[in-house]
Amino acid sequence: MSKKYWKGLPELTESPEFLQSKNNEFAEPLPMEEFLSGEDANSKGTSRRDFLKVMGFSTAAVALAACETPVNKAIPYVVKPEEVTPGVANFYASTFYDGHDYASVLVKTREGRPIKIEGNDLSKVSQGGTSARVQSSVLSLYDGARLTGPLAKGNATTWKNIDDTLSKSLGTGNNVILSSTIISPSTKAVISEFIAKYPNTKHVTYDAVSYSALIQANKNVFGKSVISSYDFSKANTIVGVACDFLGTWISPIEFAKQYSKTRKVTRENLNMSKHYQFEATLSLTGANADERYMVKPSEFGKVIASLYNEVAAATGNSKVTDAKVSNPDATKAISKAAKELVENKGKSIVVCGFNDEGCQTLVNGINKMLENYGKTVDVELHSNLKQGNDKDFIELVADLNAGKVNTLMTYNCNPVYTAPASLKFEAAYKKALVKVSFAQSLDETAKLADYVCPDHNFLESWGDASPKRGHYSLQQPTINPIFAAPRYEGTRQFQDTILKWSGIKSDYLTYLQGYWNNNIFPLQGKFLDFASFWANTLHDGVLKVSVIKDAPVAPIAKDSAGNPILAGVASAINEIVGDTTQIQSEKTITPIAVTEVLPTPDYNKAASTATSMKSGSQFELVVYEKVGLGNGNQSNNPWLMELPDPISKVTWDNYITMSPIDVKALSLNEMLRQDIIGSIVDLTVNGTTIKAPVYPQPGQAPGTIGLAIGYGRSAETMKVAFGVGVNAYPFATLTNDNIVFASSSVTVAKTNEEHSFASTQIQHTIMGREEYLLREVSLNEYKSKDQEIWNPTALLPVHGGGKKHVDEIDLWDAHPRMNHKWGLTIDMTSCIGCAACVVACTAENNVHVVGKEEVAKTRDMHWLRIDRYYTSDMNKAKAHEEGVGVKQMYIEMENPSANPKVTFQPMMCQHCNHAPCETVCPVLATSHSTEGLNMMTYNRCIGTRYCANNCPFKVRRFNWFNYIENPDFADFNPAQQDLGRMVLNPDVVVRSRGVMEKCSMCQQRLQAGKLVAKKAGTPIVDGSIKTACQSACPTNAIMFGDLNDENAEITKWRQDDKNYLLLEEVGVKPTVSYLLKVRNQDEPIHNEEHAAAKPAHADDSHKEEKHS
Amino acid sequence: MSHFSLKSLFGAVFLFFAFSFGLKAQDGAKLFKQNCAVCHALTDQKLTGPGLAGVFDRAPKGDWLKNWILNNEKLIKSGDAYANKIYNDYGKAAMTVFEGQLSGEDVDAILAYMKNPPPPPTSVTVTTGGPGDAQPVEKSGIDPLYLLLGAIVIIAIILGALRSVRQSLQNSYNRKVGKSEEPELTFWQEVKQWMGGHRRLVGVFVIIFLFMGMKSCWDACYDLGVYYDWETQKGYKPEQPIKFSHKLHAGDNEIACQYCHNSVEKSRHAGIPSVNVCMNCHKGIQTGPQYGETEIAKIYDAAGFNPKTGEYEKPENPIEWVKVHNLPDHVYFNHSQHVVVGKQECATCHGDLKKMTVAEQKNPLTMKWCIECHRTTEVAMEGNPYYDRLHKALKEKYKGQYDVKFTVEKIGGLECAKCHY
Repeated sequence: MSKKYWKGLPELTESPEFLQSKNNEFAEPLPMEEFLSGEDANSKGTSRRDFLKVMGFSTAAVALAACETPVNKAIPYVVKPEEVTPGVANFYASTFYDGHDYASVLVKTREGRPIKIEGNDLSKVSQGGTSARVQSSVLSLYDGARLTGPLAKGNATTWKNIDDTLSKSLGTGNNVILSSTIISPSTKAVISEFIAKYPNTKHVTYDAVSYSALIQANKNVFGKSVISSYDFSKANTIVGVACDFLGTWISPIEFAKQYSKTRKVTRENLNMSKHYQFEATLSLTGANADERYMVKPSEFGKVIASLYNEVAAATGNSKVTDAKVSNPDATKAISKAAKELVENKGKSIVVCGFNDEGCQTLVNGINKMLENYGKTVDVELHSNLKQGNDKDFIELVADLNAGKVNTLMTYNCNPVYTAPASLKFEAAYKKALVKVSFAQSLDETAKLADYVCPDHNFLESWGDASPKRGHYSLQQPTINPIFAAPRYEGTRQFQDTILKWSGIKSDYLTYLQGYWNNNIFPLQGKFLDFASFWANTLHDGVLKVSVIKDAPVAPIAKDSAGNPILAGVASAINEIVGDTTQIQSEKTITPIAVTEVLPTPDYNKAASTATSMKSGSQFELVVYEKVGLGNGNQSNNPWLMELPDPISKVTWDNYITMSPIDVKALSLNEMLRQDIIGSIVDLTVNGTTIKAPVYPQPGQAPGTIGLAIGYGRSAETMKVAFGVGVNAYPFATLTNDNIVFASSSVTVAKTNEEHSFASTQIQHTIMGREEYLLREVSLNEYKSKDQEIWNPTALLPVHGGGKKHVDEIDLWDAHPRMNHKWGLTIDMTSCIGCAACVVACTAENNVHVVGKEEVAKTRDMHWLRIDRYYTSDMNKAKAHEEGVGVKQMYIEMENPSANPKVTFQPMMCQHCNHAPCETVCPVLATSHSTEGLNMMTYNRCIGTRYCANNCPFKVRRFNWFNYIENPDFADFNPAQQDLGRMVLNPDVVVRSRGVMEKCSMCQQRLQAGKLVAKKAGTPIVDGSIKTACQSACPTNAIMFGDLNDENAEITKWRQDDKNYLLLEEVGVKPTVSYLLKVRNQDEPIHNEEHAAAKPAHADDSHKEEKHS
Repeated sequence: MSHFSLKSLFGAVFLFFAFSFGLKAQDGAKLFKQNCAVCHALTDQKLTGPGLAGVFDRAPKGDWLKNWILNNEKLIKSGDAYANKIYNDYGKAAMTVFEGQLSGEDVDAILAYMKNPPPPPTSVTVTTGGPGDAQPVEKSGIDPLYLLLGAIVIIAIILGALRSVRQSLQNSYNRKVGKSEEPELTFWQEVKQWMGGHRRLVGVFVIIFLFMGMKSCWDACYDLGVYYDWETQKGYKPEQPIKFSHKLHAGDNEIACQYCHNSVEKSRHAGIPSVNVCMNCHKGIQTGPQYGETEIAKIYDAAGFNPKTGEYEKPENPIEWVKVHNLPDHVYFNHSQHVVVGKQECATCHGDLKKMTVAEQKNPLTMKWCIECHRTTEVAMEGNPYYDRLHKALKEKYKGQYDVKFTVEKIGGLECAKCHY
């Protein structure tokens, strides 16, 4: 008799539910459909059955798909352009200028598409340097948000319609062309053509980030409405007040180049500039300053007035009424700085980035007393950047409101987004009868415009620029317009559009050549015919002429048909420069004798204006520019969005920077100890309230907050930027007709909401490991103390007593490097942390953009990161002195100082010669080359990630997703977009899911450089191969070369007594080395006690490493 | 291969390429073919340059022709009237300067050849392939497969009809003899019955069908792209949009590989010639030896060229060639490295294309294959100063050892990052 077992009570009772479910094998329907189609497939639970089924299906699918070998097509040119060789890159000299930043650049093109921007060494302005924004501009060319043709009232239309409609309306009333600063002389001439045709047209220049106070100050003091040019390379003492001249101010690339020249300390050259910085937010420049003091915006004027008086006292000039600066340290520093400034008369520089006429006038006065004009500061050879006039802009708003403007044309500016809230620009804008925008994409202003006439990208355009008096550069197209007929209605260059509307028949290129023939060709004497002059200048990209006469901006001569006249050059030459044969191409510049009577500036009035800003009751707000996004021109650029802010290391966000002291006082989230959750607060400025997250920023002056511009875009088509962060522009205030990026009527109120930051660095301090990772020395110690104190050799205790150099005790055999021994050295004194190298690396090596969510999970993909370390108030010596326990010491060490010193350390694969990653790879996907490089072989990698775990520098990056196909990354990963994909470097593999990647030391460049030498049959010339980070660096902080070459520059760097290896004690023998940071500060960094305690630390470290 | 140099000139319409061999041979015919025939015919036919029939009568006497051939630019600049006339008549298209590439003796040899040219061929083709090379002309008419299918259908119908006839006959016979009617079997029942009676025959058929099935699977795989060696694609021989024959061009006509694949010494890509390179010759050569005008017409279609007017008047239409040699994306291979520095012949990797009418992948192009070559090929270090330091170090390292070859492997040619980055 068979027994019956019940599976449970339901079966015994035979409940209806049981009977019904008995016949179903699975208790609930299998979620196969849902699972396979669901977007959140990886978050759903997957049963073993599902797994096997999916696997079975996919195996079958893969097997089927594999049956067919893909047929690859190769489509050669029909008529191959002579200069194009498939597979070989061409470089074209051009000019980057977006209304905000200027750089003379070389554009690398492959098969007719630009893929990389390099600096142009021939330029005397940018001097071969680049910035993150310049590097990333090549991706903006392939921006999916760009318009493909003109729009009329939001609908696509044809250029013919636009031309017809506007030619009727332009003559009917007042026209205004509103643009950012135009530094192109020929474009100015084009605009004057337009004004000649329509005399009731006004051209208003408005810069989103205004420098109008500086222009007014120069008018007050020198009678010239210009921006002066600066030469930091000649300055021994530098004082900056709220001036981020290394990151964002006027011409940061140029200034970084000059600045770094004063900071190359070697045994042969012990001179180093001393840099004082007074500011509220911790700027890139402040982070590099030798002495930095925290000052509220309302006291910027007081700092300058005090400095003025100190300098005046020392130089025997009359004083102004000043007010005391509340920070006593700052007061002391002002006296000290003033003393040094006076000692370095004519070799010093004082700069102020605060857009206040009083402040700027006083700064001019200081520089004048210090006799810096004509030496470090120059109003004659002035800069042409930042000509924006806030007063004109404010008047324009009034005119708009009064209905006086018929047609408003906005070119290269986005006032609806950037204008201060108090101007109520948007409402005024809507009152213009006809609104025309030349924006490349549908930005905030273009969205409201009646007609959008999209301009070309700068890489598709002809053009010229004069960034500085006497300096000219040319812009040439490096790609045919991407959006062009017949597929699209196409974009049209602004200048062509204006010429057309002015009734001039020639195109802009002809006009440009005509302009140069008539106006700029006569300024030089090297070339006798225009054709060769043009060809050579176009090749070089830049031209420097002796300043005899500025090129005029009036309309150029034209024949009866309206075409510019290209002849008549010889007479023009004779007229201006006399006998051409006598003239050298570059003459020494003779200062122009100033004949007009200089105005008498009223410094007392300036001082009273400068010190008049009210202090805030709770907080004072500083609106600042981030090094990454700048003024927001390139907000929609995913490379810049993902670029960690050099200071905060936060990506994809802007936020309120607040002193940790204030954060604590407001009981907001302090974000200490690896916490990335911040608090959201209600920020009220001048009655407008927004919600924004708070990021505790050491170095932020207590009582002040900072908020970056460039975020909070409300243009929906900008998929990358839309909805990221908040817009800070409206919080700028109007003071004496200047747009000032500060406000004192600010309140911050706590809310209960939280915000998650995506930061690439959550550990802020070095935690007592300076000796192994981050060596620093003060200039005095470098001069006087023994090298062993500040750059000790790595010794390890050995069995049987005594110590040996780490090189002598080695588990591994040395590998001979018979041919090349590549090496990279980074000068931490020169490195300013500007992150140009990070973007350059991204562009060169097809580094994926992974988005905020992934960065927050520490899955950022940058091969090169810049570690930023703050100093802490606690250190080992202090703990020893005060008897603080070890645990407490480390806890306190984790907190940065309120006003920390900052060190930047670029960190990439160190290419360890005894690499820990190589020994743990089970499939030999990472191995060592005979040239000393740690090679990563993607197609071999199976993704165990052992190497990343074993890497002491944490430089390996893992592809967690298939970033090139996964739809989650479609909006921002350029590799997923038809257009964006064009920026990829065809010599570098685009990595797929499941493989590890890391810095290859630009292997593709090494191989290419070697091949050039092999083919030419010569040894490699030192300097002929540059890594992407090296060539992007505006301060020459990175040196690459062959260590087997005794005469190579890198060999000299390696012999420098500042040279050290990271974690040398561990014995991994890195190929990358660092030159330690020299600070020009008074306080010693290495006291004797600390040095005496050193061996014990070395022991500790050794033990730790052994155990790990 | 002899030393080879390439010089590009920019003509009025497109690029002209000329090439030359520094041959010592005094073979006028060969020199003419290599240097002149691209632009000049020995008949009256105008190619890029004038036809050369009667050139000795019309050109100035003396050394003029020799001087012109050696350095026409110099002659033009010297103000020579006839030289300038020729130059202007031919749209100021520059002729290659052969000075430095050809010696005076070479030019004499060419001139000697020109004086006694071979009897002009009947067509304007420069060279015709032998009759044996002619490809079978495409068959016209009905595909045999359709004939076979049709036959099977007809036979099936006949068989079906016969079956019903037989059955009705059988039934009527049965009725006649008084037997009961055979139960009407379905077709399948009948087949089964029949198969039961003819097991051996069925077995044989099953085996034949199995084999045929396997064969057709194999063939289908071939069509799908699973080739002889499906892992390596060795033997891949896809059909190209134009029936271009390497045998005719590189083999019979001895056009140097680099004339068309002209970036092979400069770039990672050897370069598939752009249509304008084809047109250098095919502007004049309008009929081919095998397909007549049909295949060359495809070039004209691509270039937008009208052979009747001799003008480029139609829209351009790029040719989509099928890539024969495919490397995975994660491999970086550089032609110029192997051809210029490594001094490798094209045939080392590509096989003897001079004998291929359809380009075929002759080598597996696998990593194993690359590495085998890198293990055995010696690096030409002598005479290249780039290698001096390395060469010295290697000699030091292997001092006293015999039979040491400084192969690519010895200089790090097997390292991953040399090809994968």
